[in-house]
Amino acid sequence: MAIRLPRTEVLIVGAGWTGLTAAYELANAGRKCVVLERGGFRHEVPDLQSPEMHDELKYGQRYKLMMDTQRNTLSFRNNTSETALPMRRLGSFLPGEGLGGAGVHWNGQLWRPLPSDLRIRSHYTERYGAASIPPDLTIQDWGVSYDELEPHFDFFEKICGTGGKVGNLRGKKTPGGNPFEGPRSNPYPNPPMKQTLSMKLFEDAARKEGFNPFPMPSANVTQRYVNPYGAVLHPCTYCGYCERFGCGYFAKADPIICVYDWIKDNPNFELRTNATVMRVNKAPDGKSATGVTYVGKDGRSYEQPADMVLLCAYGLWNVHLMLLSQIGEPYNSETGTGTVGRNYAYQTLSSNRVFFNGRHKFNPFMGAGALGTVCDDMNGDNFDHSGLGFVGGGYISVTQTNGRPIENMPIPAKTKTWGAEFKTAARQNYNSTLSVSLHGSSMTTRGNYLDLDPTYTDDLGRPLLRMTFDFPENDKAMSKHCTAQARRIAEAMDGDLVESAERATSHYSVVPYQTTHNTGGAIMGIDPTTSAVNRYCQAWGQHNVFVFGACLFPQNIGYNPTGTVMGLAYWTINAIKNDYLGSPRPLMGGAR
Amino acid sequence: MKSAFAAITVLACLTAGSLAQSTLPSPVNQMQPRSSPEALLALPDTAFRARVDRPVTRDMYAQGRLVAMGGTPGGAAIACVSCHRLTGEGDSAGVFPRISEFPAWYLYKQLGDYASGSRPNAIMTPIAQRLSAQQREAVSAYYALTPSEVDSRRNREIDEPLIQWGAKLSAIGSAERGIPACVNCHGPDGEGLPPSVPNLAGQHSTYIVSQLRAWKIDERRNDPMGVMKAIADKMESRDMEAVGEYFSRLQANQKPSPNRDRAWLR
Repeated sequence: MAIRLPRTEVLIVGAGWTGLTAAYELANAGRKCVVLERGGFRHEVPDLQSPEMHDELKYGQRYKLMMDTQRNTLSFRNNTSETALPMRRLGSFLPGEGLGGAGVHWNGQLWRPLPSDLRIRSHYTERYGAASIPPDLTIQDWGVSYDELEPHFDFFEKICGTGGKVGNLRGKKTPGGNPFEGPRSNPYPNPPMKQTLSMKLFEDAARKEGFNPFPMPSANVTQRYVNPYGAVLHPCTYCGYCERFGCGYFAKADPIICVYDWIKDNPNFELRTNATVMRVNKAPDGKSATGVTYVGKDGRSYEQPADMVLLCAYGLWNVHLMLLSQIGEPYNSETGTGTVGRNYAYQTLSSNRVFFNGRHKFNPFMGAGALGTVCDDMNGDNFDHSGLGFVGGGYISVTQTNGRPIENMPIPAKTKTWGAEFKTAARQNYNSTLSVSLHGSSMTTRGNYLDLDPTYTDDLGRPLLRMTFDFPENDKAMSKHCTAQARRIAEAMDGDLVESAERATSHYSVVPYQTTHNTGGAIMGIDPTTSAVNRYCQAWGQHNVFVFGACLFPQNIGYNPTGTVMGLAYWTINAIKNDYLGSPRPLMGGAR
Repeated sequence: MKSAFAAITVLACLTAGSLAQSTLPSPVNQMQPRSSPEALLALPDTAFRARVDRPVTRDMYAQGRLVAMGGTPGGAAIACVSCHRLTGEGDSAGVFPRISEFPAWYLYKQLGDYASGSRPNAIMTPIAQRLSAQQREAVSAYYALTPSEVDSRRNREIDEPLIQWGAKLSAIGSAERGIPACVNCHGPDGEGLPPSVPNLAGQHSTYIVSQLRAWKIDERRNDPMGVMKAIADKMESRDMEAVGEYFSRLQANQKPSPNRDRAWLR
């Protein structure tokens, strides 16, 4: 029997970027907030300080900051003819665990979507005709526009002290920035990061080939900066330990130093760590949530009643909780009906390695997660898709994120991976190799989805989340086309050898690391038959449940998701504060 | 790189014993005699620490030693040795820092910053302005290769809570103040991180405190990207004294170790 706790006004599941930000805003608006985090407490001091943090084996290879797959994981299969098996080790993606969530070990590449990304089906239909969209795609508009989200993108960029170069200031194109981006109300709060030799070579080659390079927007802060909540962020030292690591320098914006430190002493705020939410509880009529049941640090079950529930876990686990709690109708891939679990998407990556055979010294150990130069010419619909037979695209970039010896030891593909030949090649290429990468979008199909596994359970006896995913033909075509364009730049760099590698040539594998950009499953929209939540990210059937995170994306864009996730989070928080709290109700009418 | 190391190794073999014992820094620890500059340069780590922009040669080392003693054409206004001593241990009576075994590139950059005024100093600015780029490089290499002993017989009173606080700031920083740990950049035990981050171990407390204050009041502005300014801004006087007291008591030895030779890679 669960122990019943005193009621709170707002119950928040997950203490990452979205959960802590929602808590900050709602606690300051006078609401009692309880945040439940399944992982433990951790903080920059002492947990993220180096030299301890600069342990590549412990954090980079053994993933000590990430979720523990011995306790909870998902099962995976490529298609419905296979039997899904549990992912027993982390591989393709790396969800976080503990205070700050995946926001602690991210790279800090902070993007906004293109205006056309958010109305993708309408946009392609208007420009190329409805027949231009491959029939197997289930892509759809987001139900919210770029202009509506812009103030929220802008504010989150200030929270992170983002460095970059504006390309479109209130409709006016500005040189040196991204010429394709939507209008910005303000320039970036900080200047871009310094440019490395590898980035300069890329910039010159890209210009020569007719592309438009610009510095990658970076939440690795470039000068002393005070964010709107009061956090004093320090300049990045280019130590090369961003992704998979926490930043001990107070230089990579993360939810702990940027948000948590500035809300933790507010009497309306309470954080409970090592608290795993089992399910969202519903009222007898099913039309609202009454709170959650969770297992606490002591292993006992607690019932926490609440006026409203915000699902702020990692996107996949939000979907898991919704399926376990019957928030919304589970998606059925045979009939195409139901919404929860629908439109799961990923990211389509490729690379073109350029070997300079010792002719340059790139010093990759001087790096940062968002230290890079980018071309957006092949992203979204920034190029003419007429007759190409696919939708979407991706950005092309050279980043210098790290020179960590286990992860980053580039050798030509034909070289042996052991012995004297390996050692010679490693020495020859370590300091003179770069990669021109494509970070591509991922479109949704009827057969790619999330549901509950019929066989396997987690440590608390709940069915695992089951992922069914393979690269759609659309994305294979996109990858082929855009990788060839990226290769053009790579070949213009005067290297000795260019080697291309695409992920989406055959089946998706959950084993090799690709990216932690899992999207969809609880998508937003304006039609309750095709979206799990409405345009304010409010559950259609339970008006006091709001959902956050990349699970809201109807399909995945060609950018890293955090900027879009947080733009949507502030959009939702704004709707809660300024509309919902005054009159709790379905903000777009109930489920039909 | 490889051929440079090989050349230095050969040089070390050919010249072994040709530098008179009296011209070498005296061994600081009789149990474990310190290596000759040539032997030190044969170790990749030390060779890297000692170079500014090219491998250090015997001639460069000798010229650096001469510069340190004020024996250059025209002469430095004041010889380095008069304040920093021949072994670079400095002088805790004033704010003359320990510079022995500092990364040469760091020392070279400081001399340039003194000369240009981005690190203004009444004593060092005129001295640095009189030195040519080559002389700055040579004297930087000299001190990078010169060990000295931290005086463990200091007869100072120990304020235990203060040193504890300094040790904590050094190792993990402060969550309350938002201060990162010193060793994040300055290396384990403050041994420095060549080429750009100076040693803190064994540094005089007075010097550490004076520099943190200089950053805080914007007197010193030559730290890359303002990293030290951002940190010093968050420190109170007691924090500065605490890290000064703590680091001044650590031994500053970069012990050359055969294990650091990258023989396994060849």
